Amino acid sequence: MKTNKMIVSWSWREIWFGQLWPVMVALTLIIACVVALSTLALRVEKVMSNQGRALLAADLVFRSSNPIPTTLIEQAEQAGLTVSSQSRFQTMAFSDANMQLVTVKSVESNYPLRGELDLRSTTGQPIREVKPGELWVSERLLSLLDANTGDTIAIGDAELKINGVIKYEPELAYNPFNSIPNLFIHGSDLDKTGAVQVGSRVRYRLFINGDLQTLANLQANYELQAGESWVDQNKESRAARLMDKAKQYLSLTILMVILMAAVTLILTCLHYARNRSETVSMLKSMGASRAWLRLWLSTQVLIMFVVAFVAGSSLGLLLEYLLRIPLVDILPKELPSVGVQPFLFAIGVALCIGLPALLIPLTRLLDAPAINVIQKRETQYSKTSWWLLLLPITALITFYGTNKLVWMVLIGLLVLFVLLAGLSYGLLKLLAKLKWSAAFSLALSRINRSPRNSMMQLSALAGSLMLVALIWLIKSDLLGDWQQTLAPDAPNVFAINISPEQQEGYLKQVDTLELPRSDAFAIIRGRITAINDQNTIESEAYQNEEIRILKREINFTWAKELPVYNEVVAGEWTGEKTVSIEQEVASELGITLGDQLTFEVNSQIFSATVNSIRAVEWQSLKPNFVFIFSEDVVADLPATWMVSFRAETDQTPLVNQIAREYPTVTLLDLRTMANKIQGLLKQITFSLTGLAGLGVLAGILLIFTLLRLSLSERKREITLYRTLGASKKRISNTLWAEYGLLAISAGLVAAIAAEIILFSLMTWGFELPTQLHPTMWLVLPLLAVLVVFVSLISVIKELLKPLR
Amino acid sequence: MSQSIISVENITKSVISNDNELSILKGISFNINAGESVAIMGTSGAGKSTLMSLLAGLDQPTSGKISILGETISTMDDEQRAKMRSESIGFVFQNFLLIPSLNALQNVTLPMVLRGNEDENSNNEKAKALLKEVGLAGRETHLPTQLSGGEQQRVALARAFVTRPKILFADEPTGNLDQKTAQHVIELLFAMNKEQGTTLVLVTHDPNLAKRCQRTLIINDGQCQESA
Ligand SMILES: Nc1ncnc2c1ncn2[C@@H]1O[C@H](COP(=O)(O)OP(=O)(O)O)[C@@H](O)[C@H]1O
Ligand SMILES: [Mg+2]
Repeated sequence: MKTNKMIVSWSWREIWFGQLWPVMVALTLIIACVVALSTLALRVEKVMSNQGRALLAADLVFRSSNPIPTTLIEQAEQAGLTVSSQSRFQTMAFSDANMQLVTVKSVESNYPLRGELDLRSTTGQPIREVKPGELWVSERLLSLLDANTGDTIAIGDAELKINGVIKYEPELAYNPFNSIPNLFIHGSDLDKTGAVQVGSRVRYRLFINGDLQTLANLQANYELQAGESWVDQNKESRAARLMDKAKQYLSLTILMVILMAAVTLILTCLHYARNRSETVSMLKSMGASRAWLRLWLSTQVLIMFVVAFVAGSSLGLLLEYLLRIPLVDILPKELPSVGVQPFLFAIGVALCIGLPALLIPLTRLLDAPAINVIQKRETQYSKTSWWLLLLPITALITFYGTNKLVWMVLIGLLVLFVLLAGLSYGLLKLLAKLKWSAAFSLALSRINRSPRNSMMQLSALAGSLMLVALIWLIKSDLLGDWQQTLAPDAPNVFAINISPEQQEGYLKQVDTLELPRSDAFAIIRGRITAINDQNTIESEAYQNEEIRILKREINFTWAKELPVYNEVVAGEWTGEKTVSIEQEVASELGITLGDQLTFEVNSQIFSATVNSIRAVEWQSLKPNFVFIFSEDVVADLPATWMVSFRAETDQTPLVNQIAREYPTVTLLDLRTMANKIQGLLKQITFSLTGLAGLGVLAGILLIFTLLRLSLSERKREITLYRTLGASKKRISNTLWAEYGLLAISAGLVAAIAAEIILFSLMTWGFELPTQLHPTMWLVLPLLAVLVVFVSLISVIKELLKPLR
Repeated sequence: MSQSIISVENITKSVISNDNELSILKGISFNINAGESVAIMGTSGAGKSTLMSLLAGLDQPTSGKISILGETISTMDDEQRAKMRSESIGFVFQNFLLIPSLNALQNVTLPMVLRGNEDENSNNEKAKALLKEVGLAGRETHLPTQLSGGEQQRVALARAFVTRPKILFADEPTGNLDQKTAQHVIELLFAMNKEQGTTLVLVTHDPNLAKRCQRTLIINDGQCQESA
C-alpha cells in the first residue's frame, strides 16, 4: 500500500527531525548493554565451570572407599558416557639412598578427562598421558629420595623406572602443608605394587564425562552406599564465591544501566509527546482518524525497535568483544557459544521497558483534541494504558524475584528518590534565605517558584549521579577486597620442616637477604580426639564424608598473639590452657566458646578450652591454622617451624642460596601459582573497570539528556526575556547560577544517598567490609557541574538566539 | 435560491472556567449558501474562533444544531466528524501549522494521504501544480524551517486547496504576517477560491479583507448580526 510507504518514510523523518531519536538511542543502549553483558556473563560462567571441571579432572566424579561397582561403570558406558578410573593409596617408596611416604595415583591412559596433565621427561617435551609401565613423580620426591629421572625405585613390591617429573596435574588441592608427594603409575601396574590388599586403605575414583542430562540421570539412578559420594563442580569453593560476587556485580550493573537508559527513554518520550501534540491536533483537524494516527505512531515505534535492535545487537557484540580483550589469557581460545539467549533477553528487556515508556505517552498523544489548532485546551485523556506497567514489573519479579541485591537497590532507590527530592529542596530553600548576588538570587527564586518541577529535576539528577557513583564504588570496593586477598606483597615462598635449632639462624638469614617474611610458627602434628569428653570417633561429624579434620593429623601451632590478619569473630584471646579455633571448622564440629577440647600429639594427650573463634582467609597464602594454642599448652611438645616470605622473580638466586644453606628445610615455591592468580585478578579487574566505565558513561549520557531537555523546555521563557530586553549576559548568568546550584546540591545529595546504599549493599549484599568514600563527596558535585557545563554550552547559543 | 451548505440553528456554547460557567455564544442562527464567502468579525475574545471551531466540527456546541452539506454534525462522534473534515473541509490557520518534519511538497500532499488517495504520482502532480500557483515552484523539498512566514502560509494555502474542499475555514490567516505579505496571501486565497468555487468562511480583524467577502457576520456579546 502506498500510504504505508509514505508513512514509513515520514516516520523515519519524524524520528530524526522530530526529536524522537534519543528514544532510539536509549533503546539501542539498553539492547547493546544487555547483549554485551549477558553474552559476557554467559561466556565467563561457562569458562568458569569448565575450569571447575578441570580441577575435578572430569565433569563428574564418583568417590568410594571400595572398588568401583562394575554395574556403575557398565551403566555409564551404556549411556554413552566416557569413564576413567583411578585408585590412590599411600605407601612407602624406596630409592637406593632413601625412603619416603608417597601418594600413589594409578590412572588410565585417558586420564584426565578434563583439565591438563603435564609430564616432562628429560627431553623436556610435555607428555599428556600415563602409559603402562611408566612412573612419573613430583619434583619434590626426586630430591627427597635423592633420585634422578632414569633411576629405578621401589613402590611397594613393584620396581619401576622413573620416566620423569609431574609439572602440572589436575585435582591439585592447594595445601602447602600437604607434604606427602605424589606419583603416577598406570592402572595396569597397580597389582604389581601389592599395595591393594584386604585392609589396605585404597580410595577409588571414577571420572565421568558427558552431557549434563545423562550425568544427572546416572546420579539419580544410582543408590549411594556407605563410603561412596558424588563430586561435581557445584561444590562451593572460594573461587566460586568470588565469581558469584563478580556475577552479582555484573547483573547489578546491567540493572543500573538499564534503569538509567529507561529513565532517558521515558523522559525523551514524554518530551516528544509534549512536542507532538500540536501535530496530532493538526492531523486530526485535517481529518485523520484515530486508526490512521495509531498506524502512524506504531510505524514509528516499530521502526525504532527494529533499528535499535539491529544497531544495539551489533554494538553489543562489539562491546562484548572489547570487554573480553583484557580477559584473553583467562578465556580459552575457542569460546563456548552462547546461542540466541542474550538476544532474546535483550529484546525482552527492550520490550518490557520500551513498550510502556513509549506507548503510555503515545496513546495519550492520541487524545490531543483537534480544536487545539484554534484554541489551546486542556487535554481530556480518555484512558491511560497504565496496565502496560505490569510488563516491567512482572519481568522484574520473575527474573530478580530472589535476588536480594536487586531489590535492595530498587527499594533503596525508590525511598531515596523521595528523600532526596525533599532534602535537596530543603537545601535550596535554606540557600534562598541567605544573601546572594543578583544572578544567584534570581536563580534561587526561580527554582523555588516551581517547586514540583525543581524537585523532579533535582531528584532525577541526584538519582542518576548516585547510580553512577554506585556502579563505580561497588566495583572499587569489590576489587579492593579481592586485591587484599592476594596483596602484591603476599608471601609466595614457604619454608617448612625447620628444626628448632635452625630456626633462629634461618630467620636471620631471610632477614639478611631482605626478603619480607611472616612470623615463624611452630608446627606440631596431631589430631583432635574429644570434644567436651565425647570421643570424636563416636561423633556424628565423623561419619560425614565432607568433614575430614577428625580423621587425619593436622597442624597445630601456638602463639603469644593471634595473627593480625585473622579476625576474631567471637571470644577473646586470653587465659591459659586455651585454644582459638577457625570459624568454619567450629561450626562443622559444633564447637562453641568455652568448650573443652582434647588433642593427641605423639600419643601425648592434652586439653584446652576454646577462648576465641577466628575468621581465616585460606586463600590469602599467609600462614594459617585451624587451632592456635596458648603457649603453655603445646610449647614443650616436639615441633618443627615454618615461615613464609616474599621473593620477587629476580630474587630467585637468593631463594636458591637459602635452599643450599639449609638443605633439610623444605621450600615450597608458590611464585608461579601466585603470579597466575594475581594476573587473573588483574584481568578481571580490567574488565570490570571497563564495565563500570560503561555504566558511568550511560549515566552521564542520561544526565546530559535530562539537562538538555530541561533547558530546551525553557526556550520559550528565555525568548520572552530576550524580547523584553534582558541582556544575553544576564540570562546566561542566571542560567549558570540556577543549573550550577542544581548540580552542586544534586551532587551532594547523591553522595549521601550513594554512601547509604553502598553501605547496605556491601554489608548485607556482598558481605564485605565497607568504609566512607570522601573523594566521592568532592567528585560527584564536580562531575555534576561539569556535565551541566557541557550541556549548557551545547544549547546556550540556540537558547539565546533572538526571535525571527 | 442556491443551496444552503452550512446551517446553524440557535447554537450556544458555554465553558466551565475557574468554576464559573462562561457563556461564549448565546444562541446563534444563520445559513451560508454554497459558493458564498463569509467574513466573521468581532472584538478580540468575542467568540469568533469558538464559532468557527463549531462550524468546522472541531468542537461540539452546548446546544443547538449545526448541519454541513445536509448532514447534522452536532450529533456526530469524533471519528465521523474527522471523516467529514477530511472529505469536505479545508483549513488555513493563523500560525500556519505545517508539519516540521515534512517538506513543502509532502505537507501539501498530506491531506490527500489522510483521505486515502494513494496514487503518489497524481498526488505529487496536484501538489506541484498548486505550489506553482502560490509561487513556490522549486521550493518543494524545503522544510518549513527553511521558509519565511509568508511562504509557510502559502504552502498552507496549497495544502488547504489540494483536496478541492467544499468549504474552507480560515482563522485570521494573515494575523501573523506583515501587511505586504498578507496582501499577497489574500490575493492568492481569493483567486483559488474563485477557481474552485469553494465556500469560504474566514475570521478576520481586517476590514479590507472583510470587504472582499460577500457577507460579513459580526459577533458581539454572544450574539450574531449580519452586517449590512
Ligand atoms: N475552553 C475555554 N475555557 C475557558 N474560556 C474559554 C475557552 N475557550 C474560549 N474561552 C474564552 O471565550 C472567549 C472567546 O474566545 P475566542 O473564540 O477564542 O475569541 P476570538 O473571538 O478572539 O477568537 C474568550 O474570552 C476566551 O477566553
Ligand atoms: Mg480567535
